Amino acid sequence: MKIAHHTLSRWVDVPEDPRALRSLLDDVGIEVKRAEPHPTLGTAFTLELLANRGDHHGIHGVAREIGGRTGGEVRVPPVAALPSAPCPVAAFVDDPRCFAYSLVLLEGPAGAVLPSDVVAPIEVAGQKSVGAVVDATNLASLELGQPTHAFDADKVTGCVRVRASVEGERAWLLFTPEPVVLPAGTLVICDDVSVLAVAGVIGCEPSKTTASTTRVLLESATFEPVTVRKTARALGVHTDAAARFERGADPSAMITGAGRVVALLDRVGFVARGASVTSGPEPLPEPAPIDLSIQGVQRALACPDLSATEIEQRLTRYGYRCTSSGHGRLSVVVPPHRRWDVAFVDDLYEDLARSIGYNELPTSIPRVPHGVSPSLAERRKSRVDAVLVAAGFYEVITDGFYGRATRERLGVTEGHPLWAHVETTNALDRGYSLLKNQALAQAVDAVAVNQRMRTEVVRAFEWTRTFHPDPSAPNGVCTERPLLWVIASGAEVDWAHASREPDAWLMAGLVREISAALGLRLELRPVVDGEPLASLLHPGRSASVVRDGARVGVLGEVHPVVVRSAKIKRARPVYLELDASVLDLPGAPVVFVEPDTYQPAERSLAFTLPIRVTAAEVGATLAASGPSWVRSVTPVDVFHHEEAGAPVRTVTYRIVMNQEDPPRTAESMNAACDAMVRAVASAHGPRGVAQRA
Amino acid sequence: MASAGTETVRALAEEALVPATPEELLVGFRADLARATDPAALDEVRRAHTGKKSALKDALTRLRDVSSDERPAAARALNEVQRLMEAELDAARDLAERAALAAQLDAEWQDLTLPGLAARHGALHPVTLVHERCLDVLRRLGFTLEDGPEVETAHHNFDALNIPEHHPARDMQDTFWVSGGLLLRSHTTTVQARVLSERRPLPIKIASAGRVYRNEAVDATHLAMFHQLEGLWVEPGLAFSDLKGILAFVARELFGDHPIRFKPKYYPYTEPSVGVDVQCTHCHGAGCGACHGAGWVTILGSGMVHPKVFLQFGYDPSQVSGLAFGLGTTRMAAQAVGTDRLRMLYEQDLRVHRAAHRRDS
Repeated sequence: MKIAHHTLSRWVDVPEDPRALRSLLDDVGIEVKRAEPHPTLGTAFTLELLANRGDHHGIHGVAREIGGRTGGEVRVPPVAALPSAPCPVAAFVDDPRCFAYSLVLLEGPAGAVLPSDVVAPIEVAGQKSVGAVVDATNLASLELGQPTHAFDADKVTGCVRVRASVEGERAWLLFTPEPVVLPAGTLVICDDVSVLAVAGVIGCEPSKTTASTTRVLLESATFEPVTVRKTARALGVHTDAAARFERGADPSAMITGAGRVVALLDRVGFVARGASVTSGPEPLPEPAPIDLSIQGVQRALACPDLSATEIEQRLTRYGYRCTSSGHGRLSVVVPPHRRWDVAFVDDLYEDLARSIGYNELPTSIPRVPHGVSPSLAERRKSRVDAVLVAAGFYEVITDGFYGRATRERLGVTEGHPLWAHVETTNALDRGYSLLKNQALAQAVDAVAVNQRMRTEVVRAFEWTRTFHPDPSAPNGVCTERPLLWVIASGAEVDWAHASREPDAWLMAGLVREISAALGLRLELRPVVDGEPLASLLHPGRSASVVRDGARVGVLGEVHPVVVRSAKIKRARPVYLELDASVLDLPGAPVVFVEPDTYQPAERSLAFTLPIRVTAAEVGATLAASGPSWVRSVTPVDVFHHEEAGAPVRTVTYRIVMNQEDPPRTAESMNAACDAMVRAVASAHGPRGVAQRA
Repeated sequence: MASAGTETVRALAEEALVPATPEELLVGFRADLARATDPAALDEVRRAHTGKKSALKDALTRLRDVSSDERPAAARALNEVQRLMEAELDAARDLAERAALAAQLDAEWQDLTLPGLAARHGALHPVTLVHERCLDVLRRLGFTLEDGPEVETAHHNFDALNIPEHHPARDMQDTFWVSGGLLLRSHTTTVQARVLSERRPLPIKIASAGRVYRNEAVDATHLAMFHQLEGLWVEPGLAFSDLKGILAFVARELFGDHPIRFKPKYYPYTEPSVGVDVQCTHCHGAGCGACHGAGWVTILGSGMVHPKVFLQFGYDPSQVSGLAFGLGTTRMAAQAVGTDRLRMLYEQDLRVHRAAHRRDS
């Protein structure tokens, strides 16, 4: 809503300084979104009104709010008394969604125009002046928040009836090219022939007033807010009238709204010939008074000196009627313009707080015995963050959804474990149609986006969650799986050495560091059966991350087909995914073991491993078969070559042995190595593993 | 050099008892020394003139045949020649090594104006950093972080929070509905609803942070997904003044010691509802483009928990009170970064993230 400074000042005393008025409006909860100069009416304020305050949708309501704060008197412009003669056009209300309905018949000259200073407020509000009749209804609505509507009485046939529309009934809405079929049950205003208006929302073309109109049938009514709201949404029509009615119009303003229009049209020669007021089948019940404890107010607002008298005075400014009910209590009757949003004592506390001013009320700090530390999971997440940030990764945040095109791009078809998604049913954007059930697509997108921006080196991670259809879930629809994903692509430049593209071993290294940070023993194993991402990763360069044999993640090079489909060139991104549940797994504390004071002894053992026999398997056998004084078994070199035409690797393990005093003999250490070699030959020889001399 | 021993050696040389005079030995040595320019050549000179097969060693050996009267002086003369040779060789070697080192160092020049090669740190997302900052403040007040699902029921998102169907407030939060009649939460207040539904022992002091969704047409400043952080404190006896005190504390800790103001707002789940503005840090209240001329910027929304919300979860609103507040952490993060293009924060363009954290991006 838009109101000019000078217009508002006619209703209630306000500061002359526009900045001071802006502050005052903000202070009473009528937020000023914009202030701009107007050539004749001072500053024009664009107001953002609160969703629960239908009474603010009029200058009267704004003035009353200011008066409630300042104590200033609100000056209401002239309102004519409605004629006592009955309206010649009979009105009937058949539907309980209309609480009351009034009609006034006016006669006057064709082509009348209101003075420019009178219509100026509606022009400030963004409406065009189109003649006295329409301008008067618009002005009354702007001033009092009561929508009224003018029919050309000569276009109304028979009586007027408020009823529900029937199946297939049509209405030709104002400013539209042709009639439309209304949803059955729409609350409409009709005559004996057709629909004159959709109740509380919009009038119709056939009955509209024009410059030649001389007989006006003025409607002013009270409709049920939700009905108006539903109708406006169903028709996709948003009018000022609907906005006012759906937030709850003042039922008492029905008569004053009509009277204000009559008074305005009186200035241009219109005369009211008759009026009628018809109640609906279920008139609006009177709200029950609220029992207000003075002590309760004092306690809630921390104002022990607030007296019953002051409370009564302040509430009266807003239109409440208070009577003492003894024992420090007031019985407060809610005014009609607040009946839609005031029901509890807390609502009265709010009005009293507004009246005093939020900034004027006392401030206190409740007692806080002690603070708290981050939870264990929060601390463990911070440790993982530290690992990734130190390794050069940036945290990013992706959407919780994507479009069907993303699923297609991954090559996921029906029957694939990632086919089923939780779907949005009303997304405005097709890109939001599926809740993501995997994070790899968006991780790969991160690489593609950066490549397009000429950023070749991508190191990114995200804590996110995926959504998985699951009828057995507590909500009957899906489960959510929090996870961490990490992606790397592109080699850092290196002036001194050959640049190294990130590869799956980088991700394996991150798993090692995360394991250390969390005190977990996360291991890499061949991809487990049923891994949903298996088809999206390079089959020969991927592994499951397991703990105690259970899958907690997966890593690997992104499958070349997925990379190509994302239009990524010159890069082979590598991906890691870990269930966020690893944060909840109990970690083993670091136990300090003092390093041996003697210089350790060292041996090297090399084995030829066929494809698919892992270095970890052989290493584990070595470690398990050595004596207790073998401190570590670590692969230190891998040599790729062929044997008998087949690709193999020779993996060299460094065996570090703790020494003692007197030193171990070379014979004992060699014997230990021999035993380890025999163990490997026994365990892995049948698979083609052999010691390499 | 003209010592008695020298004369003796000269005499011996004339008699061919030694191969050369001291002067001749030195002349030959110095000629070779002058030609030697690197340590290897100098080693060769050392070997040729002072080694076992050198003329000098030969002369010393032949002194056996000299009379015992003349031998000591001759030996001293030849030893002096050797000392001179060694000294000159050492000096020359030192020079050669210095030259070689200089040449090596010269050859090893590196252009250190090229970017350094230590692993660069990455960074957490600006929204995460804002969350951490907020949580640091809230932990000091005893708030613990709670999590909740993003796929929610209408009950937790709306109805339990005093937003019945067809209430205008539902327009404020255009909703993504998902299959099965559920929705994507439009605010993190759902976590408050879930905690209240558990009827935990009082006091309840929880914070919730995370993604929320609005079914909006996306542009630079409107997002279908963004972040919020909220706090809820439920305890008998909390008053409006406590709400103001907590909000003032949080605002000061997060935004610095700038003037703040409280203003009436409307949130369905609080009554009274309060907005908190901080004086615009760009114009200090004078009004500028950043604050749309208001001189103030709204930083959080809050209020006393609405009695209907308490009733919904079985609490007696006359016996218990609560305060709640929420921060739009996406907007805070954008302000911290220095952009009003919120969407930028959710695009995976690492240039944005580097620029937000590093001068050398």
